[in-house]
Amino acid sequence: MNLDARQKLSSFQAVDAGLDDDGAYAGPSARCVLFTLEDEIYGIYVKKIREVLRVGKIRQVAGTPSHVLGVINVRGVIVTVVDTRTVYGMPRKPVTDLSRIIIVELEEEQTVGMMVDFVMEVRDIPESRFEALSSTKENASRYIQGIAHYQNNVIILIDVDNMMMKLA
Amino acid sequence: MDEDILQDFLVEATELVDQLNEQLVDLEQSPSDRDLLNAVFRGFHTIKGGAGFLGITPLIEVCHRAENVFDKIRNGDVEYDAVAADVILRAFDVISDSINLLNEGHRELPENNPTLLKELDALTKGQLAAPVAEEGASQPKLSLPADVDPDGDMTDDEFEALLNQRDQLEGGAGVAVSQAEKALQLPEGLDPDGEITDDEFEALLNQRDSLDTLHVGGVAQTPSLQLPEGMDPDGEITDDEFDALLNQRDLLEMSAMTEPEEEIPVMKPVAKPAVARAQVASDDDEPVSSGASKAPAKPGTTESTVRVDTKRLDEIMNLVGELVLVRNRLLTLRTTQASGEELSNAVANLDHVTTDLQTSVMKTRMQPVKKVFGRFPRVVRDLARKLGKEIELELRGEETDLDKNLVEALADPLVHLVRNSVDHGIEMPADRIKAGKPKKGTVILAAEQEGDHILLSITDDGKGMDPDVLRRKAVEKGMLDEMTANQLDDKAAFELIMSAGFSTAEQISDISGRGVGMDVVKSMITKLNGSIDIHSVLGEGTRMSIRVPLTLAILPTLMVSFGEDNYAIPLTSVQEIFDYETGKTNKIDGQMMVRLREKSIPLYFLTEWLAPEKVKDDYAGDKVVIVTIGNQRAGLVVEQVNGQEEVVIKPLGMMLKKVAGYAGATITGNGSIALILDLPGVIHRFQ
Repeated sequence: MNLDARQKLSSFQAVDAGLDDDGAYAGPSARCVLFTLEDEIYGIYVKKIREVLRVGKIRQVAGTPSHVLGVINVRGVIVTVVDTRTVYGMPRKPVTDLSRIIIVELEEEQTVGMMVDFVMEVRDIPESRFEALSSTKENASRYIQGIAHYQNNVIILIDVDNMMMKLA
Repeated sequence: MDEDILQDFLVEATELVDQLNEQLVDLEQSPSDRDLLNAVFRGFHTIKGGAGFLGITPLIEVCHRAENVFDKIRNGDVEYDAVAADVILRAFDVISDSINLLNEGHRELPENNPTLLKELDALTKGQLAAPVAEEGASQPKLSLPADVDPDGDMTDDEFEALLNQRDQLEGGAGVAVSQAEKALQLPEGLDPDGEITDDEFEALLNQRDSLDTLHVGGVAQTPSLQLPEGMDPDGEITDDEFDALLNQRDLLEMSAMTEPEEEIPVMKPVAKPAVARAQVASDDDEPVSSGASKAPAKPGTTESTVRVDTKRLDEIMNLVGELVLVRNRLLTLRTTQASGEELSNAVANLDHVTTDLQTSVMKTRMQPVKKVFGRFPRVVRDLARKLGKEIELELRGEETDLDKNLVEALADPLVHLVRNSVDHGIEMPADRIKAGKPKKGTVILAAEQEGDHILLSITDDGKGMDPDVLRRKAVEKGMLDEMTANQLDDKAAFELIMSAGFSTAEQISDISGRGVGMDVVKSMITKLNGSIDIHSVLGEGTRMSIRVPLTLAILPTLMVSFGEDNYAIPLTSVQEIFDYETGKTNKIDGQMMVRLREKSIPLYFLTEWLAPEKVKDDYAGDKVVIVTIGNQRAGLVVEQVNGQEEVVIKPLGMMLKKVAGYAGATITGNGSIALILDLPGVIHRFQ
């Protein structure tokens, strides 16, 4: 994987400063990376994300659970890649040009890669848009931190620490 | 307590404790070494200073007293003999334990054992009396080192005599003592029966206190502060002494006592004589070697910081600068359609810089083996004293550097081996003389670098091992049949002691042979990718050699592959490689076996696990890699053997921690990832 193939988050330009649909300021906001799986939009807090990579060669590891795609070499660090689709019970899908691996940083300096269909943008979502989530069993199993209705979309915010802890 | 200052103090104190550990034992060997003596004094003094600043009272109490003792020793008033050393070493253990507790995050230290403080005071005070109270020669036993019983107890008689000496001294030294003091003490303090009960003692002290308070009015304060400590016969105050004096004053203020400080050392222990005595018994249960038995527990607290020479850091900084230059060069070349030659020059340069950088960074992890060796003089000293043996420990190659993790990991196995040498190797002095050897046994602990390995050896000139006895034991324990046992050569017979459940000690002593035997040592060394070798000559001694790689981060491996997938097998486990031939294999009880020199070895087809979709019927052309796992051998069938490669071990991360069979991963020369196999885990998968 060469340097060009690596798309740093900082190169994303599509940051709007927490404005609501009408362009008015809507209070404090949380900056999220938005991506898609099938036709659902998911978000992860930007501070949990180290970088977003194009998909290179993934080394498979025999004997791992089905949601683990394998390991990749990120500048000398071996990072496990999780198939986010499998985690959410969607069928596996071949890697396309749009596929990306989001490298997330967990507690205790652990990093994990999440394979996603398509990374949309980085966006500030006003905190007022987040909906408190009833802690149903189903929500817990989906590692969901919250849901935001924003600009006619439903964004599912992922609790990555929780997700990876459960998967490990 | 200010946490930052505390941390600084702990770093310094930990270093000082390490130094003192060694220096104290050295001092016992050469008590007249002024430099050593001063270094020890300074060590206690510095720890006390820091503790005083932070108000760690239990630590101050002990350091202060130890410092006093060493001041006396410096002045030649007290002799540092074995008895004194026992007391001092116990005080040192208290200090060392306190520092460890603080390092582990405890902030409340336990109260000091009054007996220890009492003994330390006795060490100072009793000797103080000796030069002055010369007419008291009729009771020479009472003066300092002798009056501290080896059992750590002090009888009332002794204590009483000690007090008398003190009083005489104070009179003799002209500390402006009024006759009233003596007059007061004699009738009240001394019973006709010659015994002082606790009550009487209390009363005595009270009287003295009131007396002293009276004194303070009449006597200049400064001289009374300085004199009782008997700092200097020449009447001059050196900086050190002045410091000590100041510290005493501080101590005094800290303990919020109103008496002149001369009282403090005595007051504390005496104030609770009942408690003191009650604790003596439990104290005695702890043998002299308490320090030694605690020593192996130390590495449990692993340091998370390393001290690096700034020169090394400058070197790294410089190399990183070079690296940036090379990068810039390459970036320019990319835009300017450079010729192949320019490019290859730049890449060659990059190669150099990165290699140097790797070496430099690796060096920052290196620590002198002295860190492990430092504890051994004490371990050997205590053990030898306990066993009644005379042993000299010689340390060689202490400056040899090795990886920080290794330094920590080697501590336990080495302690075990050294104890073995002292306990089982070296004979009792009488036996040694009978055998025509010098009375004093020698144990040599040596380290040297051997290419990319470190060779550690423990050599003793003790009784050595008898291979015949070992063979017989193995048969008795049912580990071998007689035939096999007799076929073992001597070397193999020595290696028997490293098998589980093999202890030849007729009597299990509490020093070695506690069940944790040589087999544990061996497995610890194997875990470090090291090997252990035993050489012994009956009657002449034993030599144990441990060979470990310089660093744990780099692992020599055998690269094997299935198609495109690379796997690395740790080279230390690989015994031999040969072609797979169907004719040599057979199936026994469902398990494929291969015959190798009349022995059957189980075969495992790695494809079945690593690439189930590639399982085939005919493995002709594949290779068999024979590996050793503990005491068993196994054959791994692989598609291709690519040769040897030194790899940098990288952890697989938390997601794959639970997947058995991998020790980590590494990046190969062509940039792809190879998985490092963990052989016990691999075999486990097949069973």
